Amino acid sequence: MAINVNTVYQTVLLILNKEQRGYMTPVEFNKIGTQVQLEIFEKYFEDLNQQIRIPQTNTDYADRVVNLDEKISIFKTIGNTTYANGSFSLPAESGSSQATFTTVTPAAPNAVPQAYTITTITANQLASGTTTVFLDGIATTAYSINGVIITFNAAPANSVDIFIVNVQDDFYRLGTVIYSAGALPTHELQRVDRGELYHLLSSNLTAPTTAYPIYVYERQKLFVYPQSIQSGVQATYIRKPVNPIWNFTLSGNAYVYNPDTSLNFELHDSEQTEIVLKVLLYAGVVVKDPTIIQVAAQQIAQEQQNQKS
Amino acid sequence: MPIPNGGLITETNRQYYAGAQQFTVPATAVNQTFTSTFDTNLVVGTGNYSDQATNGYNLNNFKVFLSANAQTWTELTPNSTDVTAAVSGANAQAQPVLNIVASAASEAGNVIGVFNASTNVFLGTIVTFTTNAGVNALTLSQNLPTGGVSNINVLLRRLTPWQMSTPNIITIIGSLTLNTYVKIELNEDVKENNFGGYEYTRLNDVIDNFLIAYVGAGKLIPSVKRTDVIFHARRGLQEFSYDTLKSIKSSELTVPSTLSLTIPQDYVNYVRLSWVDSLGVLHIIYPTNNLNQSPYYTFTQDNTGNPIQDSNDSNTEATSQMNPTWAKTNPRFISGGFRNDANDANVMDRSYSDGSLGQRYGLEPQTSQKNGWFKIDERKGTFNFTSNLANKLILLQYISDGNAYDLDARIPKLAEEALYSHIIHAILSVSSGIQEYVVRRFKQERSAKLRNAKIRLSNLKLDQIVQVMRGKSKWIK
Repeated sequence: MAINVNTVYQTVLLILNKEQRGYMTPVEFNKIGTQVQLEIFEKYFEDLNQQIRIPQTNTDYADRVVNLDEKISIFKTIGNTTYANGSFSLPAESGSSQATFTTVTPAAPNAVPQAYTITTITANQLASGTTTVFLDGIATTAYSINGVIITFNAAPANSVDIFIVNVQDDFYRLGTVIYSAGALPTHELQRVDRGELYHLLSSNLTAPTTAYPIYVYERQKLFVYPQSIQSGVQATYIRKPVNPIWNFTLSGNAYVYNPDTSLNFELHDSEQTEIVLKVLLYAGVVVKDPTIIQVAAQQIAQEQQNQKS
Repeated sequence: MPIPNGGLITETNRQYYAGAQQFTVPATAVNQTFTSTFDTNLVVGTGNYSDQATNGYNLNNFKVFLSANAQTWTELTPNSTDVTAAVSGANAQAQPVLNIVASAASEAGNVIGVFNASTNVFLGTIVTFTTNAGVNALTLSQNLPTGGVSNINVLLRRLTPWQMSTPNIITIIGSLTLNTYVKIELNEDVKENNFGGYEYTRLNDVIDNFLIAYVGAGKLIPSVKRTDVIFHARRGLQEFSYDTLKSIKSSELTVPSTLSLTIPQDYVNYVRLSWVDSLGVLHIIYPTNNLNQSPYYTFTQDNTGNPIQDSNDSNTEATSQMNPTWAKTNPRFISGGFRNDANDANVMDRSYSDGSLGQRYGLEPQTSQKNGWFKIDERKGTFNFTSNLANKLILLQYISDGNAYDLDARIPKLAEEALYSHIIHAILSVSSGIQEYVVRRFKQERSAKLRNAKIRLSNLKLDQIVQVMRGKSKWIK
């Protein structure tokens, strides 16, 4: 379930070019698309807070809380945490944005180059994610990456498979933290502030136990109490949406859409019109056309009014 | 209904009555795991708790058994894994290699211990071994003893036959054979603790149920900290323990010649103290009340009556004179009893003169009993008894607060609803923005449900009332 990036781009271009108002380049579109997706994504949480305080109907498809949850659920994930030095690290990488790249070095020794172009991972992904490079299955750190060019400190040996894994750091919001050990029931950890922690620890009735553990969330670490808990902690969280990319190949002077290297909008299908309108809104700013801005803004406002009234 | 089928009962009949859970081994393999589904969590001690020779074993609350036919069971301990092997040839002293006739029980990695079969002397663990021409050359963790080893049998013993690395999951280290059986059996005292458990709801369940049913968007309590619920649940259990629940604990004790007994660790208040006669019948021991009390302070005084201080500027104290005076008092002098030898409830064991007991002029009904008295020394934390109770067997019935031990943290189902009402009222009454009429509504609801719980738990049965009321037409002289 995703919104095709080419559909959005073509729709935007169609509307923009209909009256010869202007043209949006792929680079502009990719940046605006990222901005729009994040804008809509962030709004979900505020909308949910508003809707949850309003009585909802129990009818199928009409419950706004359920509908919002459906949109957010795309990004819900769960991950393991790692214990070190008295705290648990956040599960920063869901692995959903993983991309790989494999190549084989040429047979002739003299032809083995030191630098390679990575074609299936974008420069943005390489810059923001965690990249691990394997030579014949053995991890190496003797390389540097600049853009999409990886340069090894020394040329790899003949016929070595170069395998590159890039995992995006996509932690966005912390959800529920749970603890499980062996065949015991899973327990939810309660989030507390440092201010109340010491009162809780010294209280004889509410001191944390393995059945009712608590945690403090500081510096992107989870400090779990009782401190005897040193494994078995998982966290549910919302991950960031992957940035949309409309990638292309050049055919003469024309941009030809390349679906293999493009990335779609991750938002729910129902957001397609919202995305188009918001991209148009920003496009109006780019091409300096107040009519576009006005029409798009009115449409967006109307849509939001319908959603919340 | 022997198999739990989605109801509240989650243990099979065997788990409940026999305290045992049986598994059929699904494959021939090592390191197979078996998950316990008892309501009671499995507990192990420290160290090598699978070895009955260790103190850790004594702290286990269960045992593991193996059987080939599910009829004859053998407890799985290091000793039960013994395999006898003959020593091959002469093995010199002060070196670690021991040759034995090839045995399938040989295993490298210090998991198998080698013992002298006749003396049970430990020779070392098998670090590595090689097999050649029907002989296993074992490299042990230590050198062979003086004189070397020859012409004996040795025992190859798995030192840790089972483990519980994660809660309630047992791993059998050695190889198990397909379609043999494994049994986890709770110890007798643990089994007894579980009997009658369906009468109660655990406090943890009450807290979880409350959070699910009473807290959430669109409810009177949209959100609440779980620690608040835990606090009010525990406080509620404490309050209920004092006057609603039938959580009376009792302890059978013998009054020593010092006439004092230490107050139990989980004591909150006494319900009754009784001494037990030769027929096993209880006789109530009464508190001294205004007859005598133990002083909290026993200051030494100067000539003007002021306390004397020591070099640390603190008041000095002397030994109480009241306590020994009371201890040597014969209770008959107070009760006015002529004889004190009718010490049981046998109505046939009475003489003619007993009829006049206690009928003299000036009888004080409050003190007219021959069972003796007790008092509580708050300073020392002891029950003190009168001298006629020395060396007597007594029963101390008392109440705790329901929070002393994990097993206490449960509430009778007959009072579960009252506890929910207590928690919801307690939370609403301290929450801001809740209208007073709402708080009052839940206060009334709490009160009504608590009253209901008290009536339920008072165990009034019609036939028992009828039996008591049959005495109503008896003549009272």
